[in-house]
Amino acid sequence: MGEHLGVGIGWRSEIDLTVERMPGVDFVEVVAENLHRDHVPESLRVLRAKGVPVLPHAVSLSLGGAEPLDTARVEHLGAVAALLDAPLVSDHVCFVRAGGLDSGHLMPVPRTREALDVLVDNVTAAQEILDRPLALENIAALLEWPNAELTEAEFLHRLVDRTGCLLLVDVANMWANARNLGADPRELLDGIPLDRLAYVHVAGGVEIDGVYHDTHAHAVPQGVLDLLGELCARVQPPGVLLERDDHYPSDSVLADELAAIRAVVSG
Amino acid sequence: MSRDELAAAQGDLLRALLAGGEPPAGFDPAAVRVEAAALLAKRRRIVSQLAPEVAGELGSDFTALFNDYAAGNPRRDGTRFREDAAAFAEWAVARGHLTPRRKRWWRRSTGG
Repeated sequence: MGEHLGVGIGWRSEIDLTVERMPGVDFVEVVAENLHRDHVPESLRVLRAKGVPVLPHAVSLSLGGAEPLDTARVEHLGAVAALLDAPLVSDHVCFVRAGGLDSGHLMPVPRTREALDVLVDNVTAAQEILDRPLALENIAALLEWPNAELTEAEFLHRLVDRTGCLLLVDVANMWANARNLGADPRELLDGIPLDRLAYVHVAGGVEIDGVYHDTHAHAVPQGVLDLLGELCARVQPPGVLLERDDHYPSDSVLADELAAIRAVVSG
Repeated sequence: MSRDELAAAQGDLLRALLAGGEPPAGFDPAAVRVEAAALLAKRRRIVSQLAPEVAGELGSDFTALFNDYAAGNPRRDGTRFREDAAAFAEWAVARGHLTPRRKRWWRRSTGG
């Protein structure tokens, strides 16, 4: 289990003052690719001075990609983590680049043994560069690869067993996959090693034409909070973090969402 | 499947999602279309945020023009979104949709 973090929110430059001043923010997360390796934005400096942990969250390592690992991106993540004195770093179980193209978003990997081998190799190589724990996050997918050999739980369990990575469990992504792909989120919660949980992501989304989009730009649905409750029934999460990336609501609405999360966590 | 074969399969999927390629065998074509539209919408939203002046000048034409641009210009590995926004602005200027400026204000920012 990761160290205690509490309840947090994703730091974004558009809401830096909001995050800085909001009561009850125990930790924040920042997208690693949005930071320079030699300069911390003033707002994050203020938060660090107050003792608030700032966790770099990468979106571009493409650890599930079959092309050679881009070690410069891993080094950037490590440098940002050192700058912030972060207790851990994270990215996703996904790929973003292949064949000379960049999807600009997190794409699922095939749940096959070979794809797992590739992921494990890349994660191991990244861990050799990083000097602090790496947590990996389950993603929301709108499509599935054919010929899966493993369930998502088996895939994540083996990943943890073979690399020693931590898990960043995104209950909103689980909920999206339940809605869009018919995945069973409770089966996933039962099948992954929650003793390796670093923290939890919560986010909102919206349904368009029968497809649920995990936009991080809408209110957190009750179903996502219910799933957080399911998780908390199995393990006391070290931290839970609200991700909001767009269409920022008023400070009070964000504070209410944090309060709702805290209420679920404290049962 | 070897690492090389996985690389090829991942490349095929991205070509289907970003560059008008055929959905690879075994994928649900409807899901590929939904994912392709979601990726395009995300890219368009980020570009409109990075270059609000461009989106503003194009107004209601922005979405259709950006979709047209994106269809012929899938994001290449190593491209930053700011470069994408600048390339779209140049594309729109070259086609007469956007007023050329003496100062390339959409290139002023760095990073991102």
